Amino acid sequence: MGNCLTGDVAGGKQAIGGVQQMPTSTNNAGQNDAVDFFFRSRGQYPLFSQIELSLSASNLIDRDITSKSDPMAVMYLRKKDGNLEEVGRTEVILNSLNPNWIEKITVSFQFETVQTLVFHVFDVDTRYHNVPVKTLKLKEQDYLGEATCVLSEVMTKPNRSMTLNLHGNFGAGVSRKLGTLSVQAEETIASKTVVEMNLRSVNLDNKDLFSKSDPFLRISRLVENSIVVPVCRTEVVDNNLNPIWKPVCLTMQQFGSKDTPLLIECLDFNTSGNHELIGRTEKSVAELERLCQQREAINFVYPSTSHGRNKVLKGQLIVDRFVEKVQYSFLDYISSGFELNFMVAVDFTASNGDPRTPSSLHYNDPSGRLNSYQKAIVEVGEVIQFYDSDRRFPAWGFGGRTADGHVSHAFNLNEALYGDEVVGVEGIMSAYSSALANVALAGPTLFSHVVDKAAHTASQSLSQNSPKYFVLLIITDGVLTDMAGTIDALVRASDLPLSVLIVGVGNTDFTQMEILDADKGRRLESSTGRVATRDIVQFVPMKDVHSGQVSVVQALLEELPGQFLSYVRCRNINPVGAPAI
Amino acid sequence: MTKTLEIDIRSAEGLKINRRLIKKKKTFAVVKIGEKSRSSDLDDSGGSNPTWNFKSEMPMKGSVQFISIEVFYRTRCGRDKKIGEARIPATDFMGRYSHEGHLNFLSYRLRDEYGDKCGIVNVSIVVKPHSTETTTMFMASSSSSSSETPSIDGYRGRIVTGLPVWRVTT
Repeated sequence: MGNCLTGDVAGGKQAIGGVQQMPTSTNNAGQNDAVDFFFRSRGQYPLFSQIELSLSASNLIDRDITSKSDPMAVMYLRKKDGNLEEVGRTEVILNSLNPNWIEKITVSFQFETVQTLVFHVFDVDTRYHNVPVKTLKLKEQDYLGEATCVLSEVMTKPNRSMTLNLHGNFGAGVSRKLGTLSVQAEETIASKTVVEMNLRSVNLDNKDLFSKSDPFLRISRLVENSIVVPVCRTEVVDNNLNPIWKPVCLTMQQFGSKDTPLLIECLDFNTSGNHELIGRTEKSVAELERLCQQREAINFVYPSTSHGRNKVLKGQLIVDRFVEKVQYSFLDYISSGFELNFMVAVDFTASNGDPRTPSSLHYNDPSGRLNSYQKAIVEVGEVIQFYDSDRRFPAWGFGGRTADGHVSHAFNLNEALYGDEVVGVEGIMSAYSSALANVALAGPTLFSHVVDKAAHTASQSLSQNSPKYFVLLIITDGVLTDMAGTIDALVRASDLPLSVLIVGVGNTDFTQMEILDADKGRRLESSTGRVATRDIVQFVPMKDVHSGQVSVVQALLEELPGQFLSYVRCRNINPVGAPAI
Repeated sequence: MTKTLEIDIRSAEGLKINRRLIKKKKTFAVVKIGEKSRSSDLDDSGGSNPTWNFKSEMPMKGSVQFISIEVFYRTRCGRDKKIGEARIPATDFMGRYSHEGHLNFLSYRLRDEYGDKCGIVNVSIVVKPHSTETTTMFMASSSSSSSETPSIDGYRGRIVTGLPVWRVTT
């Protein structure tokens, strides 16, 4: 029952929605630049549009003892086999039974399929301050209820919003009133403009009894029909009537257009969850820019019902800095001349099975049927040929005993002494077949040598200052012998323009790979004490692809744009030839 | 050979004392190379995820094996107590994967005096090239275009001159 007494107050005070965004937002289940570009180039235009859902709930039940619930909503898609696949989560709101969540969940609205959305609402009892919402374990939270709806139903309602009743089975036969959940849908506009502002206030009113107010700002967008959609929230500054907040970064998706009116409310934070309104003002982004340039301040207004006129307060909002930036997307970089270079490494360890037996993953079928590795190479090869313009791939094998009798963990697949490149997918296939005939399967399964080789290539290109990004594809049957060595090699390579995509063939247990993929938020740590700078690994199990759950393109390219952008953005590398910002 | 290091101690995560996350303590970081050390300002918001963005330039002799980053917190009485320390081996920012002028983003595990894990510190390090060499910055500046004059790569713009030495055995 963790924090059921007061809730995680520090978590409740943190900024939501407006702080410097990570390159990949966690709720972006819909759009992947790289995948869309791949399909569009083949004339397959996607029949969907991106939708952003804002959630709010009312009359939730109270599961905490001396305070109110800290609710968070999780959205799932119900798949064809009935399983739920998580699409996204909102943030956690402190002490509220009527939460209005700020974090939006994006989903692609596919016109021709029936998309069943399932929402689960939880009361978060564990700490969530500075913890990515994605990593909170749902099993540890209290369940508050669930609701189901169909996406097309939401889209066809007049305001594109729907209110659902929450239901849930708590075991006791009595059906309790669990409250309602409202879903508001809006189309997303892919836009590159990002606005960063430094806001501060002076002379705010004191709303607390024994100390000063703890003010924070909440910025909302006014949509048609006076619907208010909260967009972001600054952090709480304790005990200060002249607060200076950390810079707020808003994307055009969040503020609509530069002329859309934004409602800026200044509230006094209370741990009970009932934040008192200090004052509010309505300004568009263009007006805020003007305020900054002319060094003016705007007074807050307190809505007053008795006089019919709003009371103008002494408290003022000042914009210290206003910067408009362009955030380039993955496609912008690729189309400007950034090269993606792929490298392939194939597993030649004995765990694959003797190539002469039909059950082996390396089986050389006389009838010409492709074995698991060949299938994987062909499917993956389609994607990498598309993005690697010169179609020359360094190809290596590992874990096999070569002609000179030694077991090598990074031998050239084309068995040439110098030059490890093959041309095209057919090059990889022929090199693989001939290597299979000449190389004896041995062991153990080590990735560290091929990762080091790839890292070496990537670092050499750095010294030539050319805009290149490298992707190492490792096709393996799964069980790693030297986890620590592999982690060390990956951590050493984590600061380079390199991504590692591990493709798993066969049916083994791939939990080790999930650890390397670090999607749950635990950064890889090497044995020397160095921690990985960023997550550079993406794991794709081929059996998921073959069972039809996800296309190979989708699975392979899922994390690549995000990993690429995390590298270029933190170094302020712009697309080739783009003007410096 | 003395080089100049530009170190930016950016932030730390998950700072713990006695295995518990710290709350409301103001922390600061100190970078130490040999005997010289520089300290950052206090992080005002306190807590276990401070952001310092403390940039400093320090000279580093070629013989230095590692630099150390220490994180302290200030008690109410004004005393500074150490939370933990991380050691950055020089090979991590000089050597095989990174050359001079490359902006290295590195993160390290902090360990306290008992050897327990007590957080992660994020730094970025640039080894400044010598002023006598032509300073072509390898930090990919936003205005760099890929169509620069090629060929003299790896030598940072200098022309290499040398006299071939032949050895003919008769």
